[in-house]
Amino acid sequence: MAERALSGMRVLDLTHYIAGPYCTKMLADYGADVVKVERPGGGDAARSLGPFLNDEPNPEKSGLFLYLNTNKKSVTLNLKSAAGVNILKQLVKQSDVLVENFSPHVMPGLELGYKTLKKINPGLVMTSISNFGQTGPYRDYKATDLNIWGLSGILYECGEPNREPLKMGNNVSEYVAGLYAALTTLSALYYRDGGSAVGQHIDVPIWECFHTMQPSMTLVYSYAGFVRKRAGVRFPWGILPCKDGFIGFYLPTQTHWESLCALMEMPELREKPEYETPMLREERREEVTAIIVNWLKDKRMGDVFHAAQELRLPLTIVPNPEQLLDTPQHKQRKYFVKIDHPETGRLIYPGAPFKLSETPWYAGRAPLLGEHNREVYCGRLGYSQDDFVKLKEEGVI
Amino acid sequence: MKKLPLQGVRVIDACIYWAGPMATSLLGDLGAEIIKIESIQRLDYLRLLGGWPSPDGYEWSAVFNGVNRNKYGITLNLNHPKGKEIFKKLVEIGDIVAENFSPRVMENWGLTYKELKKINPKIIMLSMPGFGITGPWRNYVTFGPNVEMVSGMPIVSGYKDGPPLMTGYIADPAAGLMGAVAVMTALRRRQKTGKGQHIDLSQIEAFTSFMAGPIMDYTMNKRMQPRRGDRHSSFAPHGAYRCEGDDEWVTITVSSDEEWNRFCQAIVSPAWTRWPRFADALSRYENHDELDKHIEEWTKQLNKCEVMRIMQQANVAAAPVLNYGEVLSDPHIEARGFFQTITRPVTGTHPYPGFPVKLSETPVSIRKAAPTLGQDNEYILKKYLGMKEKEIAKLAEEEIIGTKPQGWAFGMEAEEAISRLKDIHTKAE
Repeated sequence: MAERALSGMRVLDLTHYIAGPYCTKMLADYGADVVKVERPGGGDAARSLGPFLNDEPNPEKSGLFLYLNTNKKSVTLNLKSAAGVNILKQLVKQSDVLVENFSPHVMPGLELGYKTLKKINPGLVMTSISNFGQTGPYRDYKATDLNIWGLSGILYECGEPNREPLKMGNNVSEYVAGLYAALTTLSALYYRDGGSAVGQHIDVPIWECFHTMQPSMTLVYSYAGFVRKRAGVRFPWGILPCKDGFIGFYLPTQTHWESLCALMEMPELREKPEYETPMLREERREEVTAIIVNWLKDKRMGDVFHAAQELRLPLTIVPNPEQLLDTPQHKQRKYFVKIDHPETGRLIYPGAPFKLSETPWYAGRAPLLGEHNREVYCGRLGYSQDDFVKLKEEGVI
Repeated sequence: MKKLPLQGVRVIDACIYWAGPMATSLLGDLGAEIIKIESIQRLDYLRLLGGWPSPDGYEWSAVFNGVNRNKYGITLNLNHPKGKEIFKKLVEIGDIVAENFSPRVMENWGLTYKELKKINPKIIMLSMPGFGITGPWRNYVTFGPNVEMVSGMPIVSGYKDGPPLMTGYIADPAAGLMGAVAVMTALRRRQKTGKGQHIDLSQIEAFTSFMAGPIMDYTMNKRMQPRRGDRHSSFAPHGAYRCEGDDEWVTITVSSDEEWNRFCQAIVSPAWTRWPRFADALSRYENHDELDKHIEEWTKQLNKCEVMRIMQQANVAAAPVLNYGEVLSDPHIEARGFFQTITRPVTGTHPYPGFPVKLSETPVSIRKAAPTLGQDNEYILKKYLGMKEKEIAKLAEEEIIGTKPQGWAFGMEAEEAISRLKDIHTKAE
């Protein structure tokens, strides 16, 4: 097997749903050994969330789960039993990292708080992801992606002025927090192995992480007392329909506007004083948009895209999933990968988020629920066959 | 003083605009020493976003100042052989080189990984162009909004009766965050093996990684997911509701029947909550429009923070829609000390968003405000190249370094550049 960037790193994964699993997926896909601990019976809640293959609800066929848990091992463990907690502590001893995204009261409630685990393994990096962080007045509040968007300040400025503010699809805030968790976990390990030998507890709040996706608008408020309102298409950028899909444009400067006039073969637009500056065009964005829409209506997405790029004009395709899978750029770079799985067969997944020249990303599959129980409990912890059967009978695993 | 996790790591940062600088600012927050290289011949366009219409307005860009903290700032003309020579000397003493140009730019300068590796075999190079280092579209021009567009995410975002929605900026910091993760992945391996490598990060691929749900639905079921506004794919109610006041909103999301029951109790069970058409998740989902009207009748009489309090006491997920001014003064954010007040030349003293994650043994903070143009020329050239005052003065004379812009991005005239700076100023008036 090729050498991989994070080979040798052992991660104990107590995460579920999106933010936590995305963090440990990043680590696993680049070579870390990740043991995912799931509750017996249902496992990770994402196993019961769609989209499912053929719309058939099945814990082994959730597309979301399959994507977020590639290259991990799965064991089942009942953390509400004393025997389960005891087994977890044995696993902690053998791990570099523990990642969890329970509500902040859960781990201490199971007597698995950082203080306890640190005694078992002083070098442990424990990464706790939560909506509001481990401290503060909202610590125990509940939240979903939409609530986090609302709190971040970003929701307020997205959407049409007279309608409700709007978030984008796909739980972006959770992916962002997952990446922050991966970043800081790796940094803490770098620190630990750089001579300090100490582990630490990392507190990853989804709200604050997501706020950094627009770090400037609180500053704009502080510099200028200005709060941006919702504006729909916010010239100089927007997405407009064309014959077979959508084209997105970004026109940051005069040069770009002039290139667009050239592309549309409307040199007369350049001469019009009412469209002369970016500010004027923004004031008249409805007029300008109407001109572009009219020009786009019989044009194909791909033709406009390539012709614009010839002029170094940042007009781009806005593909739907079918068109996305078909782009020559993704094909040549092999971005989408095929992964085999015993329950679903071969499916296409989004692949490496970055390519490392010497230690490549690896397209492995997600585990079946409890698939690695024997390997981990007997192989790593040394339980005998009899003990193993007993643990099963007692509902611990 | 406590140590920082990446203390001792040095980053030579040629990044421009937003995504690349976000990656290096995160590494800087975590303790790496960042030497940011700017050009006076072609001022970073980010400096022109949201500034002031004055000749030094490029020091007032909130987004530039937000994503360039914890960095030293120098200027260097990389088109000049002497500029290139200085760059290569910095690479010699660096651990990481980061850049986010189109691939042709570093190639034209002769500063590819292949060349830099000869100078410093252990170097890790992060290249993060929009489309990546290879492929037929590699040199196509993209900015943050384009990255968001090409990911396809806007197609599944927006009002259910409206066009695709985008934020216009979110892909930049998200790709930057991925860049920082990529560097740490390579750095961990270097810590163990002593070997460097080249990271090819396509911002579009990085952001498309967040699109797994709709992509998998298509690859599994050939389904194109619809735009569904703020609604969930299966739970209801799930949305933003008007509250007391002008443009005041609260988000409420109910994710199970138990949560629905608690929601009903929290609003003191008006009759409609007992109607059969809202009895289970599926029927609530089918009658979502009507359900929303009833909920809004209740929320619009209340303050948005009061709704959060009532809901959270009943263990229902709800939160106000805050504008940026309100984020700054939120009691939870204040209690966690997220914003940090920093003084910077030209702009003065303001609160900046801090590093969002808390590390118990190696706490991270903003130690240095974003550099003014060429602020650290002397410090860096003396410290790392052993240059004398005279040599530095000569570089300034030759305009290889400097502290005033000589030119602007995209061949803009100074007049246009300054007019770009009017954005926020005019809107604020």
